[in-house]
Amino acid sequence: MGYAAARGGLEAILAAEDLVRRKRTEGSSAPLEVDQITDRLRLSVDRVMGEAGLWAPELAARALRQAEGDLVEAAHLLRAYRSTRRRLARPVTVDADELEILRRIVPAYRVPEGPQLLGRTLDYVGRLLDTSDRVSTGVEEATHAGTEPQVLVFGGETDRRPERLLEQLRRNDLALDRRRSDDPEPYDINVHPVRPGVPRSARLSVMARAETGALVNLWYRNVLGPDGYIREITLGEVRHGWLPVRVEHPATGQPVNLGRIRVTETEAIEDLDGDDEARDHFDVGYGMCVGHNERKAIAMANLDIAVHRDGGRSSLEQSVLMTTDGLESSGFLEHLKLPHYVTFRSMVERKMSLRAVASGERNDDRAAAIEDEEIRTEAVVGA
Amino acid sequence: MTIAELVDSSVTVEFAHLDEQSKRVIRRAILTAVAVPGYQVPFASQEMPVARGWGSGGLQVTLAAIGPNDVIKVIDQGDDDGINAANLRRLIVATTDVEETTDAREATIIQSRHRIPEEPLTSAQLLVLQVPVPEVLRGVERDMNEMRRMHAESDYSKMWVSLYEDLVRNGVVTASTGYPVLVNGRYVMATTPIPRWDIPQLDNAEFLTLFGAGREKRIYAIPPHTKVEPLTFDDVAFEVEITPGATCLLCATSDTYLIEVPSHHGWICSDTDFCTRKRQDNV
Repeated sequence: MGYAAARGGLEAILAAEDLVRRKRTEGSSAPLEVDQITDRLRLSVDRVMGEAGLWAPELAARALRQAEGDLVEAAHLLRAYRSTRRRLARPVTVDADELEILRRIVPAYRVPEGPQLLGRTLDYVGRLLDTSDRVSTGVEEATHAGTEPQVLVFGGETDRRPERLLEQLRRNDLALDRRRSDDPEPYDINVHPVRPGVPRSARLSVMARAETGALVNLWYRNVLGPDGYIREITLGEVRHGWLPVRVEHPATGQPVNLGRIRVTETEAIEDLDGDDEARDHFDVGYGMCVGHNERKAIAMANLDIAVHRDGGRSSLEQSVLMTTDGLESSGFLEHLKLPHYVTFRSMVERKMSLRAVASGERNDDRAAAIEDEEIRTEAVVGA
Repeated sequence: MTIAELVDSSVTVEFAHLDEQSKRVIRRAILTAVAVPGYQVPFASQEMPVARGWGSGGLQVTLAAIGPNDVIKVIDQGDDDGINAANLRRLIVATTDVEETTDAREATIIQSRHRIPEEPLTSAQLLVLQVPVPEVLRGVERDMNEMRRMHAESDYSKMWVSLYEDLVRNGVVTASTGYPVLVNGRYVMATTPIPRWDIPQLDNAEFLTLFGAGREKRIYAIPPHTKVEPLTFDDVAFEVEITPGATCLLCATSDTYLIEVPSHHGWICSDTDFCTRKRQDNV
């Protein structure tokens, strides 16, 4: 019968859970503490928070530990937790200009307004596997050949809230100004489902929560793949920093800061070249996600402007909105492991029926059996 | 609300898992679905403790509808004891403390993956079907905007053409489970995939059926006493699954949806509850 070994449902589940739990808790090394994960697996924690859409480093670390390091599984744990929590307040919209940078680069200019602040990145670190167990603390001195730095910084190295490049482009009338005056409330994808045709804020929310690999793949697919092409953008801003979280005070009605979260923010400058586009201007795509995750934010910004320019001509918007969520794609893929014998039996029955018809021997047994079923189906046949 | 209450609320477990606000969102969608039979109502699907594609939609519908006095039955492929059914039932009972049963007659809510119980359900019962793919038009159209237009204008010509092509090419309609139906003469709807065998049960039924698609964020419904017609041509009879001579190895019934047991060269009932009671002369 069906899943012979897997029947006796509950017992089998309990046994499977026990196996998972034992593997996780046993072993000769010291148990993994939550602060070890938040301290030392920072990028994993950030990625889980981003894909879960929830700023909660400690909970994300717990989820990672419980999921044995499986990032999608950890994001699932965190989101499932979140859907049981009541909303205590609605945040007041915060201007992204308030971002206090930890890192900021402007690839479009050598010397932009404000600092180029390399910050904490592995971009330029040689990918050499460290096989030593020593914990390195010292800083290598910069004693190699090079020219004197050109001191041309406008806002000063210490400017932690620099003006964004987009402002400069706008001043020079190089960027299309798509700012709206009506300032609608952002589309809340936790309360309203998304379908093609939703406002841009919904698209950005979906991508902010999307699985990193899915966004990177969708981007690359459109660079090299069969779907058509999106243009490679020039990055205006890549920022990582702190953003305040603000709510209205229940008594005074005044906005108060509750805390802050780290986010990655990008702006992608697009060279407009379409017949019906303002070809003497640039346009800009936007990306922001929770935590430090530049791959995701850059793919997001490029896809944002690509969907806007596409204007519904291709299925790119549908792909972005409907296929990038890690929980949805992984969950559905893994559901194939569930038993499917009811549907499969029905398919087999059609194969046999097809053969009977093809060989002209839709035999009497079968006809009689179908006749027996007439009572069952009379309500619907030819209705 | 005091700070103490706020702190406290962060550790309280809500009845039926979801917070009340999320449940209201789902209930509103259910009400719309009942008002417009067969129409797929978009709703803000929450992340559940089970993965997308594993009954998260059916689970949300059940948890939004359930009350402390309900009696729950959960089946997967007709089987109360299937792993996924057992897991979902455990979760529902753990968060609601309701009574559980395998007897289809005792349950007030039956959550099911891909089957309707053989025992005819009554007006006091709610059937919740888990839906992997709610969009009936996906086989003939990929663009979501176009699908919305087709539903809005009752433009189902592509469905009819595909049905016709199937018939011409194969001599028989080869659509197996999830067979398309016309609900209340208005919307063409996907039948979760339940087998064709179960479809007659949906027509002019005594009970309410709710369909929950968590991953695709849709809820739809067939209210009691609603006309449900499988799409077919006037001169081509709709066929349910028939295998001549097949009877259940356990209860000897031939009048249920049977699944093959190749190791025993025979068949058994997919509905384990019905089969068990049949053997006890209790149907």
